[in-house]
Amino acid sequence: MLNKKVIFTFSPQNVERPVTYQLIKDYGLWVNILQAKFEPSLGGKLVLELKGEDEQIKEGLNFVRQIGVGIELLEQEVIWDEEKCIDCGACVSICPTGVLFLDKVTYKLKFDYEKCIVCGNCVEACPLQAIKVTF
Amino acid sequence: MTIQRTYEEINKRIKKGEAVIVTAEEIIPIVEEKGIEKATEEIDVVTTGTFGPMCSSGVIINFGHSDPPIRMQRVWLNDVEAYAGLAAVDVYLGATQLSESEGMEYGGAHVIEDLISGKEIKLKALSQGTDCYPRREIETYITKESINQAILFNPRNSYQNYNVAVNTSNKKIYTYMGILLPDIGNANYCTSGQLSPLLNDPQFKTIGIGTRTFLGGAQGYIVWEGTQFYPQVIKDENEKTIYKGGTLAVIGDLKGMSTDYIRAATFKGYGVTLVVGIGIPIPILNSEIMKNVAVKDEDIWTEIIDYSFPHLKKPSLGRVNYKQLREGNITIRGKDVPTSPLSSYAKAQEIAQKLKEEILRGKFLLQEPIQKFSKENEFKPLLEIR
Repeated sequence: MLNKKVIFTFSPQNVERPVTYQLIKDYGLWVNILQAKFEPSLGGKLVLELKGEDEQIKEGLNFVRQIGVGIELLEQEVIWDEEKCIDCGACVSICPTGVLFLDKVTYKLKFDYEKCIVCGNCVEACPLQAIKVTF
Repeated sequence: MTIQRTYEEINKRIKKGEAVIVTAEEIIPIVEEKGIEKATEEIDVVTTGTFGPMCSSGVIINFGHSDPPIRMQRVWLNDVEAYAGLAAVDVYLGATQLSESEGMEYGGAHVIEDLISGKEIKLKALSQGTDCYPRREIETYITKESINQAILFNPRNSYQNYNVAVNTSNKKIYTYMGILLPDIGNANYCTSGQLSPLLNDPQFKTIGIGTRTFLGGAQGYIVWEGTQFYPQVIKDENEKTIYKGGTLAVIGDLKGMSTDYIRAATFKGYGVTLVVGIGIPIPILNSEIMKNVAVKDEDIWTEIIDYSFPHLKKPSLGRVNYKQLREGNITIRGKDVPTSPLSSYAKAQEIAQKLKEEILRGKFLLQEPIQKFSKENEFKPLLEIR
């Protein structure tokens, strides 16, 4: 399960397309409208939070791109507070991509930021509240 | 010749700066290379360590008397209720007690951590008022410097060996063993294995009432067997020995502790707990004790238990050793399952090292137990009698 925030930019040509409806119905996505501003003659802007499987989100965004709507991904970031962390490893086994792991020599927590998909599992698993997701 | 040492001889060597001390991890290659007898000759003390969540923890506080005085009957510290059914200004604040305004976000363990770090804590107390204690209410702030005593007293810490928790159901569950993913999606364990105090002295030959320990960064003592103390030695079909069920009740001065070695934690959907750092030095009195401290992760076994089963006796899914667990993946029912320790091995190493250094510097002497633990314990369930 992925969680992505996106900004869709509509032109006067595609402003009337029911994009939100189609993302839900055709691509099975969970959609939360965070912000919407439309001016039919000028176009509009829609800020959405999308939840779904990797493939569903990819296909949904492809569809949006094909109808000419601009897409900007709001990058989320997982922040790991190393000072607060006690290296207990509670986050390790629930991390689907294995980017949080205990070093085989020092047994200290390592975090491979690059490959993180920001699923947020570690945030709820951390007993020290040392991991947060920000935008 | 078989070596025999006494506590007095070891302490004498510590004071002279001659004692040879290693951690329970460092001893393993030494014994592999030199053998038990030679290692026993050369080493005086082996230090252990653990740093894991231990719910049965709390602090005894004496606030001092206000003027006019109050016999506190209900007490809250930062909105977390402490048990006040003691003398006028004594309370016991339990680590797992939740804040009345913040719920699971903050609890007794957080108050304990805040006290240690020197923060001001809001105290509110209510009373019926008596002739000798006329006051009925007080609201003020305390710090660890302003109060008479802050004594950490944990009725059950330092579990000898613990289950590996998994979940065979089809939904995610939130437990004191952390988040357990459906269909055995992960496996959580909680012991520092070859560094764990009670796995290095599994028959309590040197650990007993009166043993001096490293506790939360200060020196503490074992005051009794821990609650639910029920040591078992299980020999399984492959002649593997499983030790489990030993626990310790410990006490120490909270004012001398450090948040490097004692921390508050919240397990989502379960509650608040205290992560306690404990280190116990094991005196090498003879080769039998050396044999015990040379134990390796691959020789320490534990049971995989299904936590989705909502009853007391939960089904076992087999056994696994700590080497397999520490490698990060184990196989359960043919499935590759990632593991999480919950108890910090890096911190356990740090505690064993710190204890070793304190003994080397002559700051920490070994205390012989004044009484050994009883071996006649039972593990009783709670029966419902109507």
